[in-house]
Amino acid sequence: MGKYFLKRIVAAILTILLIATLTFFMMHSIPGGPFTRERPVPESIMERLNEKYNLDDPLIVQYYDYMKGLVTFDLGPSFSIIGRDVMELISAGFPTSAKIGLFATIVIVIFGIPFGIISALKQNKPIDYTVMFMATLGVTVPSFVIATLIIYVFSGLLGWLPSFGIENPLGYIGPVIALSGYSLSFVTRLTRSSMLEVLRQDYIRTARANGIKEITVMARHAVKNALIPVVTYIGPMMAAIMTGSFVVERIFALPGMGGYFVESITNRDYTTIMGITVFYAAFYIIMILIVDISYAMIDPRIRFEKGAR
Amino acid sequence: MSRIDKDKFKFVSEQEKVHEEFRPSLTYWQDAWRRLKKNKMSMVGLVGIVLIILFGVVGPVLTPMSYSDQINDFKNLGPRLSIYEIEADTYITISPDYSMFIIEKNGNLVEKLEELELSGPVVTDDARTDFVNVQSPSEQRKLNEEAKKTLLKAYIYNGEEIYLDFSGRVDKDLEHEYVITYKNREITERTKSVMNKRYPFGSDNLGRDVLTRVMFGAQISLTVAFVASLVNFIIGVTYGAIAGFEGGRVDNIMMRIVDIINSVPLVLIIILLMVLVGNQGLWTIVMAIGLVYWVGMARLVRGQMLALKEQEFVMAAIALGVSKKNIILRHLIPNAMGPIIISMTMMIPSAVFTEAFMSFIGLGVSAPKASWGTLANNALSGILTYPYQLFFPAIAIAVTMLAFNFLGDGLRDALDPRLRKG
Repeated sequence: MGKYFLKRIVAAILTILLIATLTFFMMHSIPGGPFTRERPVPESIMERLNEKYNLDDPLIVQYYDYMKGLVTFDLGPSFSIIGRDVMELISAGFPTSAKIGLFATIVIVIFGIPFGIISALKQNKPIDYTVMFMATLGVTVPSFVIATLIIYVFSGLLGWLPSFGIENPLGYIGPVIALSGYSLSFVTRLTRSSMLEVLRQDYIRTARANGIKEITVMARHAVKNALIPVVTYIGPMMAAIMTGSFVVERIFALPGMGGYFVESITNRDYTTIMGITVFYAAFYIIMILIVDISYAMIDPRIRFEKGAR
Repeated sequence: MSRIDKDKFKFVSEQEKVHEEFRPSLTYWQDAWRRLKKNKMSMVGLVGIVLIILFGVVGPVLTPMSYSDQINDFKNLGPRLSIYEIEADTYITISPDYSMFIIEKNGNLVEKLEELELSGPVVTDDARTDFVNVQSPSEQRKLNEEAKKTLLKAYIYNGEEIYLDFSGRVDKDLEHEYVITYKNREITERTKSVMNKRYPFGSDNLGRDVLTRVMFGAQISLTVAFVASLVNFIIGVTYGAIAGFEGGRVDNIMMRIVDIINSVPLVLIIILLMVLVGNQGLWTIVMAIGLVYWVGMARLVRGQMLALKEQEFVMAAIALGVSKKNIILRHLIPNAMGPIIISMTMMIPSAVFTEAFMSFIGLGVSAPKASWGTLANNALSGILTYPYQLFFPAIAIAVTMLAFNFLGDGLRDALDPRLRKG
């Protein structure tokens, strides 16, 4: 067991380092430096700039510095926001993104799973059709459309919600709904199909034949087993929700990481792009790792399957 | 079951060979098509897809305007216009940004009225008598400011002034949205609401036709989706087939690479790729999406290969000395085609989605071209005033996604009977 965990952790660290390396060389192979402007910058200023940001060092030295910084959580200065470190930007923006992402995840879990279960128990009844219709809509409408519709209807026409910012707690409602839309629908569909699958199993029939109360059969036998695939999905989903939040953050003008990331792309702010990419990737990988490990602890079959493969 | 004619039953003479009637035997694909036709939802999806393609391909030919034609006078006009009769058979309409237009009763826009700088003496209307008898420029300026505060605008039509008091738009307590004063007559009730003849979907902030732009956007979005799926198909199938067929160490290494790619959020890779190659429009997005999304396909094909290569017909082919390439191309891939096609159908909507997303954060095709995502993004800033500019591209995206999802679900049931819902 310990060996499996160790292997997974080492693999995750290696993946993060590999991604950092790839990102670094990708960014440095772009023709033109970060200070290339439409109007050419005078030679001497260019030299000074390059010197300031150590861009005149050989690539391998820069790479070494970057990786050394990465280990100590120093991602270097931002090229376009003068005087700010990338790490500062991340620590300024991440709490907001994380909060919204966390709320969205909670919404997904407390609504998606029950809806899926109800839908499966009432298969082919009106309630099932209603839930499935909503879920299909949720999968097909992009988050930016949901977000703008919320602003239009609830902030514009009705004036119930603030249209930007999260100073007012009501401000969380819009972003959280927009962010959870897709995954909420997906979790509902996943729970439903997995629940339908489980309900057909022999052990459910056996449990019923043994005279166990229906509610106990559902809670102890059906739901517990039906949730295994859902749990697997929710881990990476949490990480993905945070990466997918660029758009929602932008629409609702939230001070999250997404705003910095989009801005850094338009400004070609290479250190920030690199920093946030590595940060997101690391976050994603760590989330998957946590899920995998907790999963292996719950369900021993997983470990052996992975080992055998 | 085909009915058998009674006439066909007759005694055969002993010399004659017995002639049997067969039901036409169906190939795998014919059978799948038969099952697909039975599934209503997927047929709706299929028809929807055909309509969307026609909309994108034929549509732009039929509209009188091109996606980049700008008529600056007619900007930000919605698909439905409220018209007011100011004189017998003379109608005006007011755009959300308070420009006034002469319009025909059937909704045909005629011209934009020239706006009058508000200064100096104005109307005889009681509420605005303050404007009269004011002489000094500073006083005039001050009153001009007040005119802005009282939300008043003036236009000129046939040498006569038309005044528009739009306080009702801001102050919801007022009874009328607009109070139009023309030749000392106040008009408050709109005559009726008509369709915008010139711009059925409205016009955008540069006076371009939203309908044409959504049609043109369909071309871009669908091109991205189809080509990206094709790239995804070529790379994914080749990669997966080699890994699955070779097995052993080759498989191990190839799949570890897939694992690594898979452990990074795909959108990040696409963004990095786009930043790396520079934003050169359509083909960059196509390549970026195609180059990233193949991992799922590769996994699927590898799984199929592992299962198929143990079967007897492959062994027979190997025994007959068929080359590896031909075994993969002629024997293995055709047998794995069902799941591959399902996966491709599902890939198309997610490519549309990703493209819209990329365009939305500013990594899409460059102006004046526009995909659905760009259109939605451009509409964002004016969402409260011009919601229709977002509404139409958003509907287009949603309809496309729905259509492909329905078709994909149907195909899954038709091509893989094992997965059929119980």
